[in-house]
Amino acid sequence: MTINIIDRKDRPALDPKEFKGDVHPDWCPGCGDFGVLNCLQRAFAELGIPQHEIAVISGIGCSSNLPGFINTYGMHTLHGRSLPNAQGFKLSHHDMTVVAVGGDGDGYGIGVGHLIHALRRNIDLTYIVMNNSIYGLTTGQTSPTSALGMKTKSTPFGNPEAPLNPLTLALGSGASFVSRVFTGNPKQVVEVYKAAIKHKGFALVDTFSPCVTFNKINTAKFYKDSAYDLNAKGHDTSNIEAAFTVAMKIPDGTEPIATGIFYQSERPCYEESEKDTLSTPVVDHKLGISEQRAKELKARFK
Amino acid sequence: MSHKNNIIVRIAGAAGDGIQSTGELLGKTCSRMGLHVLAYNSFQSAIRGGHVWLQMAIGPEKQYDHGEEPEVVLLFNKTSPAVHVPDVKSGGIVFYNAGTIKKEEIESIRSDVNYYGLDFKAMVDAAKLTDVNPVMINVMLAGALVQTLNLDTKVTLEFIKDKFLKKGEKVVELNHAIFNLGFEWTKANTKPLELKLKGDNKPKLFMSGNDAIGMGLVAGGLKFYAAYPMSPATGILHYLSTLAHSDKLIIKQVEDELAAINWAVGAGHAGVRAATGTAGGGFCLMVEGVGLAAMAEVPVVTVLVQRGGPSTGVPTKIEQADISLAMGGNGEFPRFILAPKDLEDCFYQAVRALNIAEKYQVPVILMSDFFLSEHFGTVDDLDFSKIKIERGKLTTEWNGKSNEKYKRYAYTEDGVSPRVRPGTPGAMHLVVSDEHNEYGHLMSDVEAGLPHAREARIKMHAKRMRKVELMIENDDAKPPILEGDINAKTTFVTWGSTYGYVKSAMMLLEKEGVKTNHLHFTDIYPLPREKTLALLKKCKRLISVEANMCNSLCRQILTETGFEITEHINRWDGEPFTGEYIVNELKKKFAPKKQLANV
Repeated sequence: MTINIIDRKDRPALDPKEFKGDVHPDWCPGCGDFGVLNCLQRAFAELGIPQHEIAVISGIGCSSNLPGFINTYGMHTLHGRSLPNAQGFKLSHHDMTVVAVGGDGDGYGIGVGHLIHALRRNIDLTYIVMNNSIYGLTTGQTSPTSALGMKTKSTPFGNPEAPLNPLTLALGSGASFVSRVFTGNPKQVVEVYKAAIKHKGFALVDTFSPCVTFNKINTAKFYKDSAYDLNAKGHDTSNIEAAFTVAMKIPDGTEPIATGIFYQSERPCYEESEKDTLSTPVVDHKLGISEQRAKELKARFK
Repeated sequence: MSHKNNIIVRIAGAAGDGIQSTGELLGKTCSRMGLHVLAYNSFQSAIRGGHVWLQMAIGPEKQYDHGEEPEVVLLFNKTSPAVHVPDVKSGGIVFYNAGTIKKEEIESIRSDVNYYGLDFKAMVDAAKLTDVNPVMINVMLAGALVQTLNLDTKVTLEFIKDKFLKKGEKVVELNHAIFNLGFEWTKANTKPLELKLKGDNKPKLFMSGNDAIGMGLVAGGLKFYAAYPMSPATGILHYLSTLAHSDKLIIKQVEDELAAINWAVGAGHAGVRAATGTAGGGFCLMVEGVGLAAMAEVPVVTVLVQRGGPSTGVPTKIEQADISLAMGGNGEFPRFILAPKDLEDCFYQAVRALNIAEKYQVPVILMSDFFLSEHFGTVDDLDFSKIKIERGKLTTEWNGKSNEKYKRYAYTEDGVSPRVRPGTPGAMHLVVSDEHNEYGHLMSDVEAGLPHAREARIKMHAKRMRKVELMIENDDAKPPILEGDINAKTTFVTWGSTYGYVKSAMMLLEKEGVKTNHLHFTDIYPLPREKTLALLKKCKRLISVEANMCNSLCRQILTETGFEITEHINRWDGEPFTGEYIVNELKKKFAPKKQLANV
């Protein structure tokens, strides 16, 4: 394997409190997103990444408010556009740790085109999708991961569309890290987030984060009753066929729901292809063209 | 007998006939001799099979117009004669490929021009040349052209060598031999033109507007460009891609225009000079991202190259109808819009766009059009030493000693807040698309409507919009330029590439004894109201010249200054103006007896 330009230092752990933002989350009491926030803060702290070396970048939705509640750099962008902003940011300042966050509507609905390309492109960043199978901020419409037949405000007669399977989508799109966690199991969430951040490439963490207000089906109890840790059962994370087999099971509660790391490969991340340009972060490059270079640029047109 | 010192040449054939390479050969021969050239490409949105032509004006001075009637034409395929022979200037010369065009057919079109058919196959066979490909007729016809125009053969042979050397000495020799066949045949069989094309021997740059924009962006410190291919903006992506490794740039083709603008915003926020580029249809998809840049106060440049619209429209033709699009978006936000007028200007305005974006932390829209971006022409020089990179209030230092929390959107007198680059210790903050307070905390969700949130909304919105006035106060937003005789009775009003054609029309009118002047807008928004109004009021009769139906610039002037221009010359068939076209329109519209004295 080629030498990776991304350096993963082992650093002493920090206090998770240092990652607490100035603003208290405006999520509904009991929202799964609190769990995501806490686990992400703990993951950063345990990995010892200083706050100023992190950017958390979101789209729009309840869960996309997360960057406002964490003490790091960040962007709160447009609906569906967390990944384009995050990728542009990352390549410009690749020695920062970049985590994109958002909901299932943001990532699997309006922004799904970007997701597919981010998966195959494999830029070194982490994408946490807080998946609650409902549109919360717009007060309860069907989402790309809502179950077939689910009644919502926009589908009062039942959702006529089959849900999107983010894991098989990712596996089929060239993903190098595919995982799923449930906020009711914070220990596992922190471990998978840490593994995702440490992974050299694009890491998807589909995170079941129940909506207590608008989704009465995919509740915390629903997941608690059926989730199990795939990695505790000897799953081979390097075997993509095994990953597909588990990922294809629809998490509708009719059988146990697998969580953990489904697949991880060591394929080179995108930054490897820009090794020369990224020998120092692009933000630190000297701007402007030397007199000699100006002559060369012009010579091409003479 | 005095010889003419300028000429118009047309080269026509099927896409794939090598029209572009013949054009490049002629253009580079002229530019290396220190002659000036302006070339207009007329082509379709087809890779093969379309009929394409290129018209080139050549002379010792800067060329403003590709002209109407070519004096020498090269015709490659059988579609060509019927389309182009009628346009040739009386007494002109038509060279054609005798292998595809029948002598009797072409000569029956008209009798007042000179026809010369070159029989490629017979000539290469007679010269016993081997490994010959029929497409090489373009090199033979180029030889005919160089002889007829009395250009410097040495320069052309040198160019052929530069171009083909990487394919090996043999290929160079073969091309030289074919070129010489055309050249010698023409010398022996045709009457030379009374023409003396003399350059200043200072080689010029021969480039397109997209090349010049790309070079200007790089000169101005661009490090990041993300785009989705769309004619006529793709050339910028192509040019920048060739420099990605040598100049350590991040140049990315991404999945769509929504991605392109948002990648650029992400990069701009990270702290690099970032841009994207597209045509009108792509810009429609980008508009929300432009608003994000304005709200989040992230500098980003978008090159908007206009083509015929709406919708997919006319991809490979000119139109200047996108000012309202560039002004579009939800809500009110600061931005800067500027439009270069020619190739040199593409270079310098691209630099300016990057500087203004960072100085004011706003989106900047650099507007070009199909003609400006895709046409080729000569440029005397581009002066890199003139370029200053001004990054405004960007810093990588934050004094955390006082324990003061960094305010990304601090209220300042000028509306521009100090911008600490992400990655700087102690200054962690968020940039946001929602309305926010000085820290970037959202005021739009749970706090919306509360008294302090209403106050923040008023102040923050005013802070952003303050930048528009500041651009005017700082003289960064410039009034139009009035060129020509101040006392002229008629003033042409233009923006973008129409500048050159009006300049050419003014020269033609001057020959007829009619003096006009010219008010040209480079900055489209914001317009310095008082200065612009003063200039408009100084003019006696204003006539706008725009490549559109609904007078996009006049509407902008009306909106921004309250001044209405009521007389217009428009063209929206997709072809660029010419000086002659403008003069004719002027005669038709404004001088019923075709007498220009009263204009």
